[in-house]
Amino acid sequence: MSREGFVPPTAANLGNAASGIQTMKDYGVKYICAQCAVNFSLSPKEPVRCKECGHRVLYKARTKRMVQFEAR
Amino acid sequence: MSFEDLLQPSYKGKSLTDPINTAEDKWNLLPAFLQVKGLVKQHLDSFNFFVDTDLKKIIQANEKVLSDVDPEFYLKYLDIRVGYKSGGNPNETEVLLPPHECRLRDLTYSAPIYVDVEYTRGRKIIIHRDLEIGRMPIMLRSNKCILNGKNEAQMAYLNECPLDPGGYFIVNGTEKVILVQEQLSKNRIIVEADEKKNIVQASVTSSTHERKSKTYVVTKNDKIYLKHNSISEEIPIVIVLKAAGLVSDLEILQLVCGKDSIYQDLFAVNFEEAAKLGIYSQKEALEYIGRKVKTIRRLNAPKLSILQEGIEAIATTVIAHITVENLDFKEKALYIAIMTRRVIMAMHNPKLVDDRDYVGNKRLELAGQLMSLLFEDLFKKFNNDFKANLDKILKKPSRVSEFDALLHINIHSSNITTGLNRAISTGNWSLKRFKMERAGVTHVLSRLSYISALGMMTRISSQFEKSRKVSGPRALQPSQFGMLCTSDTPEGEACGLVKNLALMTHITTDDEEDPIKKLCYILGAEDISVIDSSTLHSNGTFGVHLNGTLIGTTRFPSMFVSKFRHLRRTGKLSAFVSIFTNVHQSAVHIAADGGRICRPLIIVENGKAKVTAEHLERLRDGEWSFDDFLTNGLVEYLDVNEENDSLIAIYEKDITSGTTHLEIEPFTVLGAVAGLIPYPHHNQSPRNTYQCAMGKQAIGAIAYNQFRRIDTLLYLMCYPQQPMVKTKTIELIDYDKLPAGQNATVAVMSYSGYDIEDALVLNKASIDRGFGRCQVLRKTTAVLKRYPNHSKDILAGMRVKEDGKPIFQHEALGPDGLAEVGVEVQSGQTYINKCVPTNATESVVGGQPTINQQQQHRETPVNYRAPVSSVVDQVMMSVSDNDQALIKVLLRQTRRPELGDKFSSRHGQKGVCGIIVQQEDMPFNDDGISPDIIMNPHGFPSRMTVGKMLELVSGKAGVLDGSLQYGTCFGGSKLEDMSQILIDKGFNYSGKDMLYSGITGEALQAYIFFGPIYYQKLKHMVLDKMHARARGPRAVLTRQPTEGRSRDGGLRLGEMERDCVIAYGASQLLLERLMLSSDAFDVDVCNSCGLMGYNNWCPSCKTSEGVVKMTIPYAAKLLFQELISMNIAPRLKMSDVF
Repeated sequence: MSREGFVPPTAANLGNAASGIQTMKDYGVKYICAQCAVNFSLSPKEPVRCKECGHRVLYKARTKRMVQFEAR
Repeated sequence: MSFEDLLQPSYKGKSLTDPINTAEDKWNLLPAFLQVKGLVKQHLDSFNFFVDTDLKKIIQANEKVLSDVDPEFYLKYLDIRVGYKSGGNPNETEVLLPPHECRLRDLTYSAPIYVDVEYTRGRKIIIHRDLEIGRMPIMLRSNKCILNGKNEAQMAYLNECPLDPGGYFIVNGTEKVILVQEQLSKNRIIVEADEKKNIVQASVTSSTHERKSKTYVVTKNDKIYLKHNSISEEIPIVIVLKAAGLVSDLEILQLVCGKDSIYQDLFAVNFEEAAKLGIYSQKEALEYIGRKVKTIRRLNAPKLSILQEGIEAIATTVIAHITVENLDFKEKALYIAIMTRRVIMAMHNPKLVDDRDYVGNKRLELAGQLMSLLFEDLFKKFNNDFKANLDKILKKPSRVSEFDALLHINIHSSNITTGLNRAISTGNWSLKRFKMERAGVTHVLSRLSYISALGMMTRISSQFEKSRKVSGPRALQPSQFGMLCTSDTPEGEACGLVKNLALMTHITTDDEEDPIKKLCYILGAEDISVIDSSTLHSNGTFGVHLNGTLIGTTRFPSMFVSKFRHLRRTGKLSAFVSIFTNVHQSAVHIAADGGRICRPLIIVENGKAKVTAEHLERLRDGEWSFDDFLTNGLVEYLDVNEENDSLIAIYEKDITSGTTHLEIEPFTVLGAVAGLIPYPHHNQSPRNTYQCAMGKQAIGAIAYNQFRRIDTLLYLMCYPQQPMVKTKTIELIDYDKLPAGQNATVAVMSYSGYDIEDALVLNKASIDRGFGRCQVLRKTTAVLKRYPNHSKDILAGMRVKEDGKPIFQHEALGPDGLAEVGVEVQSGQTYINKCVPTNATESVVGGQPTINQQQQHRETPVNYRAPVSSVVDQVMMSVSDNDQALIKVLLRQTRRPELGDKFSSRHGQKGVCGIIVQQEDMPFNDDGISPDIIMNPHGFPSRMTVGKMLELVSGKAGVLDGSLQYGTCFGGSKLEDMSQILIDKGFNYSGKDMLYSGITGEALQAYIFFGPIYYQKLKHMVLDKMHARARGPRAVLTRQPTEGRSRDGGLRLGEMERDCVIAYGASQLLLERLMLSSDAFDVDVCNSCGLMGYNNWCPSCKTSEGVVKMTIPYAAKLLFQELISMNIAPRLKMSDVF
């Protein structure tokens, strides 16, 4: 998540850099199709659509991060 | 109960060989009934009727589109279908988007409307099939829905809950219900009397496809007049009758009064009225009426003569539901004469009036009817737009190619779709034809619990005004018995106006009139058109009325009625046609119109119920369904009016020689929601009403697909249990499969001081084990919009600190700018990092195209703000209908009961948690059992909820016995049996136990009433309500703290609190707190003009002389300025105090 390396400032992301927004090159986020349950990643430019069956409802896959809960 | 159960060899614990007892087992008809009718079926039937029958009628009524310009042109609608094409199977709807996808993607669950048209192109006639003119929202589970006829596995595949009742629409992703509307009957005469003003009036609301109007026949100074909205003044009734073709006074007298001399005397005055005006012939009468008609003509309509006006008024506007063909007014004249007769009868005997609140005089309007009104309006508009467009094009002299109308019909196709969608999603039904403007027709389906959704489907809302202070419409009507639930109504302003259907009811749809009319003549009724007017009211002659209109007479009413009923019982006639005799009016009424409530009853003949053990065996074996009972004449539907003609026995033992029907089950007087209460017949009645309101707020399981749903707010219970004490209703409505509550072991005793005023003591260990634990799921939606200048919203990534870790606000986010699933979100953290382009509002033209240029974005993140953190449950991404990305984030909280959470038993006994006690400190019995809940015994005496005590005893017996007990209304497990079980298991027969104190270990002085009671956790939880503030936001205008929890508002120290402080003598405290420390404002006041200035300068006097500084409350300064803005000058005059 924070492992993305240095992104050289280009004309395109100077504005973002100024406001502190990081644009990521590689989106490691996985999505799951609601119909065929296929797991795939998607870039923000791509349309929201399953790459296998074309279904238009996607769920974000569960995080790989370690999550700790307080059981009460 | 599913249909599969009926096919099992063992049914409800009875195997195929078990003996059948008619008296006890006839209740099995009820589940069989619910298979085919009931609860939600009326919505589905009504919608199916609309789609299959009514649509075709609407098309026929608006068949042709003609052009004013080209007389050769026509377009004719041949057929209309929803959801399937001309070659398709009507029962197989084209594949639509499944309902669950529509819910997730905020779409409308709809099917295309296809029409077949025939039109001219040049000289040719062309038939075009399957032209789509729009999309119709589809009611879930109707015969056009893809869920129709699906089994449980197929439903699961579609992410649908098999127990979901259906009967609602999905429009733009929200579930919308069209509530049942209650109205006074249309096309029926209602006679009312105002004894104080000495007025009698008969009114009829005529309702046809074209118009709605109301006609009155009223008395005024003992003379009778006809009143109508489109006629400027009241017209003497004799003139109206003469205009309608009854010229002879004798004929009028015969038709109105018959041979009754009292009636004749009462009526005679009216002849003088006509004679005085010199009106004797039909032409004179028509001209008289023609002069009084208020004419509203369309612009280019031809002007009519006075006579024509009169004819038109009588033919079309007065009593509009009776159509006049070829100027034959006979029928209409008769109708007016009968209205007059009813008025005369009520003048003579004031008791012969109708009751507006009588359920038989009411009709229920369902989704199908409302949709049909809406569709017809939209379809007419569609045709008008099409015609206007057509004329515009046809007017042009030369065309390149031959004109094809089809190319122009498609332009308007979105009007029908959007019109239907908008009406359902906003609930505003505005119909130009009837000048109808109704708001709040639809409601969002409440998914708080399964019961609340089910309760919504059976709800009936009334058209009466809530503010009117008449008790009549709110009161419980005896005729509601078995039709409307006696307990389920809200408290407060809508009390008695919002009702609920009872368990075993059905609402009729329209039936064809003509076959019934023919049948009446075959059965010996004499046609009204050939009857001599002198015999009409002769003694022993009964009029035969079909849907309120006189169609014939019979001299043998009882034989006529019994023959008619016989035909209906043999299935030769629709089962929902009702017939009954009214002796006062000497009339036989046949009703075949839609919207009547009716219920099935077992037919009794010669003192014997027709349903016998043999028939129930067939039902048990799955050979028969409920409809077989109907077609074999064992069971029939009665509406409220026909019930008045029958003697209904409640139990088989009550049958006497005069009995005509037998009740199927007495507990069906209650509805679905009141059916949850165990032993309701032992409770004080308002307690049952309270429970009906609270049952809908209980947290529990909602549907089998509850974890797939992304609703705005969803409450789910973690470990719901089915109640120990069930009712038959619970099983019938599947509450045991989707329960909302837990069986808590309750000790009825006093414990600590934290249980006063209905507060409950909870066992901490029970809470740790999961008692009352629930989840709250909350949805947030974000749409990534596209703007006309090609810019669009984006999701930004996360911002990081120097060490590469994300800043606190973005800790929950993933690289895509959305929260990671499964991560905890804390207050102040972002979970959707949306950015809006800064130039979004810039126009498309002007300036260079910015596509290639760098887009500037402004962050508009969605932040989490709540006292307790949540966990991201689901993140869904999809595309809504206009191709914009749709993001839904579902946040989950798991909540354990805490101080102040609300609980309730099923007897209207609510209470909040007052203290949570360690199990070690709770009392315990010999077996070491300690209670989950301690309830204060003071809750019982004044509330008289004996049902709760019985529930405890039955529940305890069930627990010890390992069985589930029943608390069905007017039945259920008997107390003696329960006590016997308790004794057998070594307990006290009354349900009391000896307990030991958990604190001292001593035996308690008294025996404690101890056992399981089903407890519901209600949605009101402290976490959603707690609020406190020290400092915080202020309103800009007044500089006072904001109001309300949602705005982090202050807690008001109001007038009365202020009074207390003054009375206490601490007024200086008020001055210091409320003024000096909070609201002080320094102003410059001009001593000469008394107005406020600034910077030691008075702008009105243009001087700084005499300007003084002083401190006043900001509120006072604001008041002065507001007064000035209204041209009132408040001037401050200052003098020295010391």
